[in-house]
Amino acid sequence: MKPVTLPGLGRLLATASAAAFLAGAAYAEDLSMWVRESAADPGQLMVDLWNTSHANKITLTAIPDNQVVTKLATSVRAGDAPDLVSFDLIYMPDFMKAGFLTDVTAQLAGDPNYANHVQAYKDIATFEGKTYGVGFTPDVSVLAWNKDLFAKAGLDPEKGPTTIAEIHEMATKIRALGDDTYGFYFSGSCAGCNIFVTSPMMVAGGAKMLPRDGADTALEGDAVKVVLETFKAMWNEGLVPESAEVDTGANFVSAFVGGNIGIAGTGGFLISLMEREHPEFNYGLTLLPGITAGQVSGFVGGDVVAVPANGKNEAAAREFLTWVLSDEAQLEGLAKNSILTTRVDLADNKYFADNEKVKVTAAALAAGYVPWVFHFADMVNSDSSPWITMLQQAVFDGDVDGAIADARASMLEIAGR
Amino acid sequence: MSGRRSKWTGMAYLAPALVFVSLFVMWPMAHLLWLSLTSESLLGGGEFVGFDNYIKAFTDKNFWRAFWFTLSYTAYLTPVLMVLNLALALLTVRNTPLRQLTRTVIFLPVVIGLASSSLLWFWLFDQQVGLFNKLLVDLGILSEPLVWFRKSGTGQLAVMISVLWKVVGFGMILMVAGIQAIGSDIIEASKIDGASGWMQVRRIIIPLAARSILLATLISAIGSMLAFDQFYLMTGGGPRGQTFTSVYWIYQNSFVRFDLGYGSALSVILMAVIMTGTGVQLWQTRKGAK
Repeated sequence: MKPVTLPGLGRLLATASAAAFLAGAAYAEDLSMWVRESAADPGQLMVDLWNTSHANKITLTAIPDNQVVTKLATSVRAGDAPDLVSFDLIYMPDFMKAGFLTDVTAQLAGDPNYANHVQAYKDIATFEGKTYGVGFTPDVSVLAWNKDLFAKAGLDPEKGPTTIAEIHEMATKIRALGDDTYGFYFSGSCAGCNIFVTSPMMVAGGAKMLPRDGADTALEGDAVKVVLETFKAMWNEGLVPESAEVDTGANFVSAFVGGNIGIAGTGGFLISLMEREHPEFNYGLTLLPGITAGQVSGFVGGDVVAVPANGKNEAAAREFLTWVLSDEAQLEGLAKNSILTTRVDLADNKYFADNEKVKVTAAALAAGYVPWVFHFADMVNSDSSPWITMLQQAVFDGDVDGAIADARASMLEIAGR
Repeated sequence: MSGRRSKWTGMAYLAPALVFVSLFVMWPMAHLLWLSLTSESLLGGGEFVGFDNYIKAFTDKNFWRAFWFTLSYTAYLTPVLMVLNLALALLTVRNTPLRQLTRTVIFLPVVIGLASSSLLWFWLFDQQVGLFNKLLVDLGILSEPLVWFRKSGTGQLAVMISVLWKVVGFGMILMVAGIQAIGSDIIEASKIDGASGWMQVRRIIIPLAARSILLATLISAIGSMLAFDQFYLMTGGGPRGQTFTSVYWIYQNSFVRFDLGYGSALSVILMAVIMTGTGVQLWQTRKGAK
C-alpha cells in the first residue's frame, strides 16, 4: 500500500473541506423566528407562504407579549438570539439604541420596494440615520359603529361619527334604547388599548402627545382636554358600561362584538375576525375623528421584523426582510388574508377592491401616526404609566386639568432619563 | 486516618447538594446583591452606584404603598386560611371513603396553576357574564351584579376568595398529616377523662399538631408576601395602582421600566423583610413550645 505523504494528506484534507463546503452550501439553513403572541396568526400566514417557496425554512415561535422584551434582551446578550424577530413596533427605538438589531440600511437602500414602504414604518425603524427593520404585519386603529343599533336609534346607519362631539351625541341616542345598550366603550384600565384608539383622537385634533426627551413638550394642545372632557361626560351620563373602568383589555374587542355597544375604537384586525367568526354582524368602520370634521388620525401599530444582532444565519434572515416587501408577500401573504399591506403602491389591490372596510383601514394607515420615543413602555404601556393614570384620573375621578398636568410632569421626567 | 476518610466520605455525600445549592441559590443571590448595587438596565449598560438604589427605595412612596398593601393582604388572608385549613382537616381527618373523597375534591384546585385559576375567577367575577355575580344576585345577597375590581377593597376580597379556593386544600392536607400523626391512645384517653370535642381540639390536637400548623402558616404567609400572578391577572394593579403588591412593583421596575438594578434592590429589601418575619415567627413558636 502506498504511504500517504504530507503534501498528499494536505490535498486530501483540502478536497474533503471543499466537498464539505459545497455540500453545506447545497443544504438549506433553517431559520428560527420569534413573534409576539398577539401577532402570531398573521405572522404564521407570512411564514407559511415563505416556506412554500424557499429552501430556507422558518420555524416560528410565539412569545407571550409581555415576555418579548425580556427574552430578546437576554438572548441577544447571551449570544443566543433567534435569526429573526417580529415585535411591537413601539419598542423599536429602545432596541435600536441598545444595539440589539442588525443595521440593514445598505440592503434596503438598494431595494426598489422599500421606496413604497409606509412612511410610519420607515420612521420608527430608523435611528441616527440607520435602518434596522421593516414593517411586517401592520395594523391601525379605526372607529367602529354598530349599524343595527344606529338604525334603531334613528341615526343614519351608513354614516359614522366625524367629530368627537358627534360621538357623544350619537352615543346619547343609542343609550336611550335601553338598559343593556350603551353608546360608547373604551377599556378604562388598558394603557395600550387607549394609546391605540384614544390618543389618535387627540392627535387628529392637533395635540402633541409624547416627549422625545426631557426638554421636549408633552400632551400639548386643546384636543387632549377636549377628548378627556368628552369621555368624562359620557362616563358621568352612563353612556359607557360600568365595567369599562376596570377593563384591562380583556373586553377591548368582545365588548363591541357583544352587540350592545354603539361606538368603539378598534383596530383593522377586527375585519378578519368578524369575517371569520361573525360574518352576519352589521357594522361600519371610519377613521378616528378629531375636534372638527375632516380631522382624522390613527395609531399605526402592528409588528416590525428585524434581524437580531449576533444571529447565526444573518444572510438568510436578511433575505426574508427583502421578501417581506415583495409583491408576493404583500399580496398573497397580507392582502389575500384581509391584512393591510405595508407598501402604499399595493394598498389598492384586487383583494381589497370590494372591501370598503379594508379601504378605510388603508386610509387610516396613510393618515396615522406612531410616536418615536424611548421609554414608551414606562410612559404609556405600564400598568402605572402616566398615560393610563391621566385617563383614569380625568375620566373616572373628574380632575381633567390636574390629570393632564401630573401626566405631563411624569412623562417629561421619564423622557429625561 | 479513618476519621479523615469518613470526613471525605461525608463531603462526597454532601457534594451534589452543595453544588446544587451553590449554583442555583447562592450564585443567583450573590448576583442579585451585586445587581442591586448597579444601575444595570434590562437593555444593557449600567455601572456601580453603591447604595443609591436602596436610598431611592426608601423614598419610593409607590413601593411602600405596595409593601403595606401586601402586608395587609397577608394579614387578612393568613388567619382566614389557617382557620379554614384546620376546620377542613378536622372534618376530613378520619379515613372513611366519603371523607377521603371530600379531601380529594378540596385538594383538586391545588394542582391547577395559579395563573389559570386567577383567569377562571376573573371571569367568574365579571359584571356581565360572571357566574359568581349571578349566584349572589340569585341568592339575594346582591341587588345587581357588582364590578368587583372597581374598588380596591372588593378587588382584594375577590382575589382572596380565588386564592382561598385555590390553596385551602394544601394546608388542609398538611394539617391532616399532622393530626393523623397524633397517637389514637392520647385521643382515647382524653375521651375517657371526659374531654369534649372542642377540648380535644384545643388542648390536644392543636398543641400536638403545632409543627404542621406552623409549616402551613409559614408557607401561606410567605406565599402571600410574594403574591403576583393573581393581582397581575385579576386587578392589573388597579384601581389607580391601589392593588400593586411588592413583587408586582418589582416586576414593573425590572421588566417594564427595564431598571434591573433598582428592581434587584427592591427584591433584596423584600427578601430581608420576609426572612426576618419568618425568623421571628419560628423563634416565637419555639419559645412557646418551651
